[in-house]
Amino acid sequence: MTAVDTPPEAPDADADDENGDEKTGGRWRIERRLETSWYLEVGGVVLAMVAAILTSSILISAAGSDVLESFRALYRGGFGTRDAFVETLVQATPLIFTGLAAAFAFRAKIWNIGGEGQLYAGAMGAYWASRILGDSLPSIVLIPACFVLAMLMGAGWAGIAAVLRTRFGVNEIITTVMLNFIVLNVLSFLLNGVWQDPASFYAQTDRMSDAYQLPQLLSSGRLHLGFLIALATAALVWFVLARTSFGYEVRSIGANPRVAAYGGIVSNKIIIATLLISGAIAGLAGASELLGTQLRLQPGISSDFGFTGIIIALVARLRPAGVIVVAIAAGALRNGATTMQITTGVPAALVDVITGLALVFVLLAAVMVNYRIRRPQTDG
Amino acid sequence: MELLGVHGVTTRFPGVVANDNVSLTIHRGTVHCLLGENGAGKSTLAETMYGVHRPDEGYLTLNGERLDLRSPKDSIAKGIGMVHQHFELVKPLATVENVALGTTGPGRLDLGKVRARLEELCEAYRIDLDLDTPVGGLPVGLQQWVEILKTMYLGVDLLILDEPTAALTPVGVERLFESIRRMRDDGLAVILISHKMHEVTGISDRVTVLRKGKVIDTVQTDSVQAADLVRMMVGRSVELSKATNHPPAGETKLSVTDLVAGEPSERGSLCGVSFDVGAGEIYGIAGVSGNGQDALFDTIVGVREPDGGTITIDDTDTAGMDPRTVSKLGVGSVPADRINQALLMDFNIDENIGLGRHGDRPFSIRGVLQRMAFRRRAEQAIEDYEIACPSASHITRTLSGGNLQKIVMARELEGQPDLIIVHQPTRGLDISAAENVRQRLIAERDRGAAIVLMSEDLDEVLSLSTRVGVMFDGKIVGEMHHDELDLDRIGAYMAGVLDTTDTHEVVV
Repeated sequence: MTAVDTPPEAPDADADDENGDEKTGGRWRIERRLETSWYLEVGGVVLAMVAAILTSSILISAAGSDVLESFRALYRGGFGTRDAFVETLVQATPLIFTGLAAAFAFRAKIWNIGGEGQLYAGAMGAYWASRILGDSLPSIVLIPACFVLAMLMGAGWAGIAAVLRTRFGVNEIITTVMLNFIVLNVLSFLLNGVWQDPASFYAQTDRMSDAYQLPQLLSSGRLHLGFLIALATAALVWFVLARTSFGYEVRSIGANPRVAAYGGIVSNKIIIATLLISGAIAGLAGASELLGTQLRLQPGISSDFGFTGIIIALVARLRPAGVIVVAIAAGALRNGATTMQITTGVPAALVDVITGLALVFVLLAAVMVNYRIRRPQTDG
Repeated sequence: MELLGVHGVTTRFPGVVANDNVSLTIHRGTVHCLLGENGAGKSTLAETMYGVHRPDEGYLTLNGERLDLRSPKDSIAKGIGMVHQHFELVKPLATVENVALGTTGPGRLDLGKVRARLEELCEAYRIDLDLDTPVGGLPVGLQQWVEILKTMYLGVDLLILDEPTAALTPVGVERLFESIRRMRDDGLAVILISHKMHEVTGISDRVTVLRKGKVIDTVQTDSVQAADLVRMMVGRSVELSKATNHPPAGETKLSVTDLVAGEPSERGSLCGVSFDVGAGEIYGIAGVSGNGQDALFDTIVGVREPDGGTITIDDTDTAGMDPRTVSKLGVGSVPADRINQALLMDFNIDENIGLGRHGDRPFSIRGVLQRMAFRRRAEQAIEDYEIACPSASHITRTLSGGNLQKIVMARELEGQPDLIIVHQPTRGLDISAAENVRQRLIAERDRGAAIVLMSEDLDEVLSLSTRVGVMFDGKIVGEMHHDELDLDRIGAYMAGVLDTTDTHEVVV
């Protein structure tokens, strides 16, 4: 067989946009796929995870610890026992909320980086509700009231960014990040003033009464109703995005705002609604943490749940079901980190490295699955 | 004296022959115009001389010697410079810095030297430009001067300007021409790409007319009349592929009066467009692109709010209405850019078929998407329009241009709209796909729809339209009934030589 190996003198590639069928040479080539499939996407994520674990094991061995033993400890701490698994779900609960909050906004290509701040605003809303309502009413009224005010506060906090974006064209990435700092300072102001527990030296509120405590789901462990609310929220987010005309508009704006405009979809309305909803979901995380595990509002109520939620959303490819899975995995990492540190001496901070690496590799995989390596047929 | 020779150059892009066996010579000390309609191959030819494209056949010579350009870097080294329509300037930097960028080698940056040379150039060619203002703060017309200076600074023998007057005011054009004349007198060769007749006759020494990638002729400008050039440009003893019979127009469906959008100095703005279209009529709008077609389309369909004038559909004034409301009045619209205006490429075919009506029955009931409605509608469209695709739930991105256009047509013609506005409906389509679209339009007209057909394909406009209006500089400068079509006049309207709506200053 005579290979026709003349490199074509094709005109400059950017002169033509919709060109797929170039003349072929005989070498391996990387080319863009026209379509990807679900197994490629899932496979990409799995490969990315493996790559993240391999890379972290280099770090572990560099730190002088036993790699296998470390991962075994990590697994044991996250999934190894029933109690460990239950605690993993507890850890995953706020992450599901914040992951959903990010995923919803990102579907419209609205980059809400303020999940952390909106979570705090939500927690403040929930606590505020308790101050207004006191102990006079049954839990069935008090708890929903806390959640509603939490959502309103989360939405309101994100709403500031929405107004700045749609009225003045200020990039929401900047405003949502900045608002994170502002809310923390507002909280600090309140906790050192009117909201401070008079009986406490610390900047924290008094403990909310038991009427506000979310019901426990299991006889042992800390798993609370917030986990089920998170799952329900995921289902609702999926339904809204996939099955409603509003969700269609959100996805259209994300896919191509110009086409959406010709289709009569008013971007600004959707941008505002998307940010409000995203903020409300993040606000739920705050209420769930406050009423589910802590019952006392204090500056450390979130350990970077908002920021981790962004990573979770991206690793989950912005899919609600994926968010649940990835959030549980992230919860297990956080939970297992302690066990790992105790048994092998590897610092718990390593899990942050693993999470970060996972994101990097998943983003890499997300790009790479769009390409394939092909050896062009020589018969052209 | 010959500077640059183009010998039998053919340049192909997938599906198109952009330049077909083109030969011409450029002489020192002359201004040489490349004249032609959109898609005639002017820019490709210029970019070939500038080393952007390598010819598939043929070759270039410089001073009689074979010239092999691999990239613009080579051409700059050989003294060939080009200023594109889209500027490549660093906006926060001043002119001096922009010129220094990429023209000075590594090591110490000697802005003083650059400035001295620039001041010389400005002096020599009477260029009035503040070298220290950040270029982002300069008007577009002056930014072009920065680009020209960048090129001149490198010392060129041949300067290629791609539609340099598009962004200029009449005074700016005169200034530019004055400088070009000085450059010519200094022995430079200047190539000017244009489709405006008065500019061509006003500045050039020689003209090469291109049509559909071929050189029609190269002539001395003073040896021909503008009318001859127009004929060469649009020319073709047009085989008006008879758009069959033209039924008489019914009642007026769309009436546009004195429509204004944007500033008159802005390229592509509307400066008082008026026309109306009746039921059962195709109103064709011809014209070179950039004369306001996009703005006209956008204001009628509701994407852009006009700054003045009225748009009346049936008896409703729709100026400023949003696209959904306009569409509900019974208007179907096919925008020029399928990929960036009409279709969500990452959505499935069936999702796209409902875009615009996605919130209404049958596609939505109380805000919940009815996926079967999308699916059924898409399957119907696939059958009716013979859209080649694996299934209705297939991703849109993978389809060919012709099939994409069929999806848009199927969506927009659904529900038998009374008014249909199509912009560039066959651009980029192969012959059979284009023919398919045209047959649809005729069928819709026969059904009684009023159709506005905007196209840069003059053949298409002439062959389908009941009446033809020609757009130039944001206005309809002339209008003709299908039985009085006169190519010379249309060409003159398109080139801005003739304006029947403006009796005050008829340019000859």
